[in-house]
Amino acid sequence: MKTIHINKLLAIIEVKGKALFSKNFIIMPIFSLGMTYIMKLAYGSISKEIDMTGYYLSMGVLMNVCMTGVYCVAACLAEEKEKNTLRTLMTSSVNGLEFFLGSLIPVVLLMVIVNVLCVFIAGFSMTITEWLCYVAITTISSIIGAVTGMIFGIFAKNQMSAGTMTTPVLILFMLIPMFSHLNEIIETISNYLFTGVIMNFINHVTTKVTLTNPLELGVLFLEFILTVILFLVLYKKNGFEAN
Amino acid sequence: MKKECISLQHISKEFNGNLVLKDVNAVLHQGEILGFLGPSGAGKTTTIKILTGQLKPTDGQAYVLGINCQDIDETIYEQIGIVTDVSGVYERMSVYDNLKYFAKILNVPLDNIDILLKRVGLYEHKKKLASQLSKGQIQRLILIRAILHTPKVLFLDEPTSGLDPTTALEIHKLLKELKTEGMAIFLTTHNMEEATKLCDHVALLNEGVIVEYGTPQDICLRYNKEKKYKILKNDKKEVLLIHTEENIKVLNQWLMDDEIISIHSCEPTLESVFLEVTGRELQ
Repeated sequence: MKTIHINKLLAIIEVKGKALFSKNFIIMPIFSLGMTYIMKLAYGSISKEIDMTGYYLSMGVLMNVCMTGVYCVAACLAEEKEKNTLRTLMTSSVNGLEFFLGSLIPVVLLMVIVNVLCVFIAGFSMTITEWLCYVAITTISSIIGAVTGMIFGIFAKNQMSAGTMTTPVLILFMLIPMFSHLNEIIETISNYLFTGVIMNFINHVTTKVTLTNPLELGVLFLEFILTVILFLVLYKKNGFEAN
Repeated sequence: MKKECISLQHISKEFNGNLVLKDVNAVLHQGEILGFLGPSGAGKTTTIKILTGQLKPTDGQAYVLGINCQDIDETIYEQIGIVTDVSGVYERMSVYDNLKYFAKILNVPLDNIDILLKRVGLYEHKKKLASQLSKGQIQRLILIRAILHTPKVLFLDEPTSGLDPTTALEIHKLLKELKTEGMAIFLTTHNMEEATKLCDHVALLNEGVIVEYGTPQDICLRYNKEKKYKILKNDKKEVLLIHTEENIKVLNQWLMDDEIISIHSCEPTLESVFLEVTGRELQ
């Protein structure tokens, strides 16, 4: 088991946190917040009778979990490789676990904040229990998204290849839950995706039925475990650099 | 007796059936500079990667500070510094912030940063973004970062390659100072002047094999089979005299007639030794 040195972890968190606010990456959470607001403006003026706030919120959260989580983490890791700073860090006594946590903590924190802000922007109302469930589900989903991004980052040589590799996956993670109401097959697939679980949870809050069911919790838990295991296997085989 | 910092014992390394290092042996002691001299592809960088635990040797044993390189973990990097041609800097961060980041990682007092920046003449650029630095300034930044924690062993992979002579001289001066302070420096280069000037011992590496090993002076004298003298005469003509009885008489005569401006003995250089041994140019 690797030791975590707090001084190293904090230093990485500080630098990675600042990197997230660079123009290459901050655009993603801003886009998620902006999209929620634009959809509220657009749909709010069209339909006053139906409560669409859950839909705006779902869009914003899905974008955030996928684009900030998967893309930003993959691109951040790819950038470290492209600029040769990853190897420099690894030969400056930073171990893999410290780098992994230092990279994930700031991005997950940012995603949690954006997920909460999306609720206020969408104007979605929740009870305290619903809030707690919402934060828990979206946080676990954010971690799954970020670890997935880390997996792609292992194989991406540079930021451009990170973009190319993650785009099809982002589209699938986002579009399948969005179009799940169109037919049963898409709905079934969506039910087995962590992004689908977020969408279903927001629907449950809107329709005031049970917040979650065992299948959804199972999917979230299983995908969390599977993503972490997949990352560990790939990391053990390739380190952070597959090439 | 000086402490042994690096030891390479019969190291071989194979990549896809190609033997890039063959039975390499070398030792580096505290307060010394060992140079691995050879053309591109000779196996210099591979040697550094083996010594720093980034590659495992196919055969043989390598030790850094008494630790077998196959057993080292990240804690070894608290005692060694590495400068390679692929060392990167955070371009969106300032010179100072780049160093501050690594100072925090390596638990080094932040005061060290300014001291080192002044030492290499980068202090006035400390607030500049790394992306705005020249190649020479970046190389100095990378070098400071590698010595921030006062490592016991410093690995330098072609540290002055592509730099202007002034910057190269400044780096040479710093390396000599570090050596005097007791740091062991493992240097790879294809610049024979640099190796002659800086290194206590050099290994001439060709296609993964050490073809000569010793002090630069010893190696050159070993190949000084035919003593020669380069003479500049009053009429500005340069004459090359081979040490023979007849030529010594001529030389004596010129001296007596005060016809000579300067006399230089012509020992072989590391470059000419390398050419003689391998039939290849260094550069």
